[in-house]
Amino acid sequence: MENLDAARLQMAFTLIFHIVFACVGMVMPFFMITSHYKWLKTKDKTYLTLTKSWQKGVAIFFVTGAVSGTALSFELGLLWPEFMKHAGPIIGMPFSLEGAAFFVEAIALGFYLYGWNKIPEKFHWFTGVIVGISGVASGILVVAANGWMNSPSGFDYVDGVFSNIDPVKAMLNPAWFTQALHMTLAAFASTGFAVAGIHAYQILKGRQMDVHQRAFKIAISFGAVAALLQPLSGDLSAKDIAERQPVKLAAMEAHYETEKGAPLYIGGIVNNETQEVKYKVQIPKALSFLAFGDFDAEVKGLNDFPKENIPNVAIVHYAFQIMVSLGGIMALAGLVFFLVHFKKQQWFTKNWFWLAFTLLAPAGFIALEAGWIVTEVGRQPWIIHGIMRTKDAVTPVPGIVFSFYMYVVLYIALTVAVTWLMSRQIKALNQSQLIA
Amino acid sequence: MIYVVLFFLVFSVLLYVLLAGADFGAGIVELFSSKENQAVTKKTLYRVMGPVWEANHVWIIIAIVILWVGFPSFYNILVVYLHVPITLMLLGITLRGVAFVFRHYDAFIDKSQIVYDWMFRVSSLVTPIFIGMTFGAMLGGDISTDTNSTFYELYIGNWLNGFSILIGCFFAALCAFLAAVLLIGESDSNTRKIYVKKATIATVVVVSIGFLCLLYGYFKDVAFVYEFLNNKWALAIFSLSAIILYPLWWSIKNERRILSRLFTGIQVIIILSAPAIPLFPNLIFTKSGNISLLDNVAPDSAIKILAIMLIIGGSIILPGLFHLLKSFKMIKILERN
Repeated sequence: MENLDAARLQMAFTLIFHIVFACVGMVMPFFMITSHYKWLKTKDKTYLTLTKSWQKGVAIFFVTGAVSGTALSFELGLLWPEFMKHAGPIIGMPFSLEGAAFFVEAIALGFYLYGWNKIPEKFHWFTGVIVGISGVASGILVVAANGWMNSPSGFDYVDGVFSNIDPVKAMLNPAWFTQALHMTLAAFASTGFAVAGIHAYQILKGRQMDVHQRAFKIAISFGAVAALLQPLSGDLSAKDIAERQPVKLAAMEAHYETEKGAPLYIGGIVNNETQEVKYKVQIPKALSFLAFGDFDAEVKGLNDFPKENIPNVAIVHYAFQIMVSLGGIMALAGLVFFLVHFKKQQWFTKNWFWLAFTLLAPAGFIALEAGWIVTEVGRQPWIIHGIMRTKDAVTPVPGIVFSFYMYVVLYIALTVAVTWLMSRQIKALNQSQLIA
Repeated sequence: MIYVVLFFLVFSVLLYVLLAGADFGAGIVELFSSKENQAVTKKTLYRVMGPVWEANHVWIIIAIVILWVGFPSFYNILVVYLHVPITLMLLGITLRGVAFVFRHYDAFIDKSQIVYDWMFRVSSLVTPIFIGMTFGAMLGGDISTDTNSTFYELYIGNWLNGFSILIGCFFAALCAFLAAVLLIGESDSNTRKIYVKKATIATVVVVSIGFLCLLYGYFKDVAFVYEFLNNKWALAIFSLSAIILYPLWWSIKNERRILSRLFTGIQVIIILSAPAIPLFPNLIFTKSGNISLLDNVAPDSAIKILAIMLIIGGSIILPGLFHLLKSFKMIKILERN
């Protein structure tokens, strides 16, 4: 394997792993404080049990996310030293703010986890709120750095030299808002559906109904709202990409020829050699409308871009299809949940209802990973869009493939371990004696 | 503004070494304890470190962000030529972090604790050794930036050598020393004797390995040791650390917990600054000369923003951290003995 491929695989693999932990660590505190709030309001002990069970989950996910994040902060330099050498000073601002936000989260988590019966009740609850807010803030700030890679700004680039660096402008890059919005909603939707799915399975099995039904409702409420808002945010993102990274949009849609009133392809098998997409569903003029808000707008095709600037079309197209279809299903499921909650309470007793939400547990995270594949693979061959190529940023250290293997083994082991620990948490929760 | 950035860099490195170092050290103390004492240490460690545990380990992220934002070319040398020890250090940090949280948050206490415990103890020893080796490699003068060198010369020989290994062991011993002194103040009358003994042993080990490092460097002509021994400031600071050993030893023997912690903190800061102050800003020694931190500074606009962010961040974090330490009675200095 070439060094560049190994480095890209390692980066992809560690990010895929880290994102799950980061999202759970960022969103679950909100479930935890909601349950905690209900305990303080109603003094219903089930909520206390649930809060304490969730906080252990938060702690495990937070630390795993923190150590993989520590590794990532080094990996940026270890794998892409040329990138960090030039980009570091430019995008340092969101990173240093993220460091601060993460620190605040760690401090607040210290208060929260160890503060039971030691610090005033309301202050204790409030530290949980800070954990959630600072977690989301650090997520949003990290996305600023990624947004900058997609829409580099805040510097002049002449003859390979970066000058006139303006870190504030770099942080407020044009891609930041749409990306951060999309990612934050995705984090809530995927964590909401995952947590709700786990509790739905317990309900399906008829274990500790009281606590699992309460848990399900809290988690799915967050997840459903986010899933319903996500298509709107996706539309903003698509329009933004159409304007700034037309080649990425063309790859997402496997759109080879420039045309006015371009059709939208759904699904299909991409053949990059013959530039054909077989077995697709075609909606006339829809792509032009979705990208530019005009049924007759011209959408630039892949063939109008230099060959060396085109990403892997098949991967980007498939990942995009997966993301959109799962996102659609989740939005629908969100709608169903609200319908059942407000109109058809009797469906809460039906097994198919719980089975459906159990099956949807991984949907959000698959969509989220697919979305990141769209944006990251879609940016290739650039590490900084239009400025620096990924191959020029990679480390000169040979044998990265071994470090890649090491991370694969390590993170697979950690995934297994964390999954096992979570199943034990649920087992303990099911065995606990609840006083109603 | 560059001084603000440098201050925060030094500040976060020192705090990482003191706080995370004591945490690493507690694992080392646990590793070298009898079975009953291991259980006691594990419990004490969780009680003392638990609430600040996450925060302690964030300092390294702050330090690394300052390095790459403020001193990108300097950071570049580290991540390219010391890729291997840094990766191994990260492996250690990861295994140790998850072992800590697994052993304290697992829903059931059963045989799996044995796995977590050993993972925690072993990585507690190995991680600081690799951190120390990375520092050792920076100072050892075996870093070669000549692209005609072999793979071994470029990426392995610079850190896998006697001097770096000694510095690695030195740093691990320093961590154990920090932890032992910290644990004295947290233990009850039954277990205090154990930690006093551990602290004494750790002191002896630190001093002897430190002496070995200098001796080895002197006979092997390690550039850093040569410069160190010929620098008035370095020797003055170095002698100061030797002098402080006496009151430190006295306070450990007499189980004076506040005083011993204070001396330990000062001692560690002195030991770390003894090589750094006189050599600053030449913090990397290569085969073809020294690399200065200050020759590799980011553009002014980036430094300015970084400094402002650090001041803002610091003014939020430090009071919060202080309050956390106070709430869980971890700042003993503020209380009566």
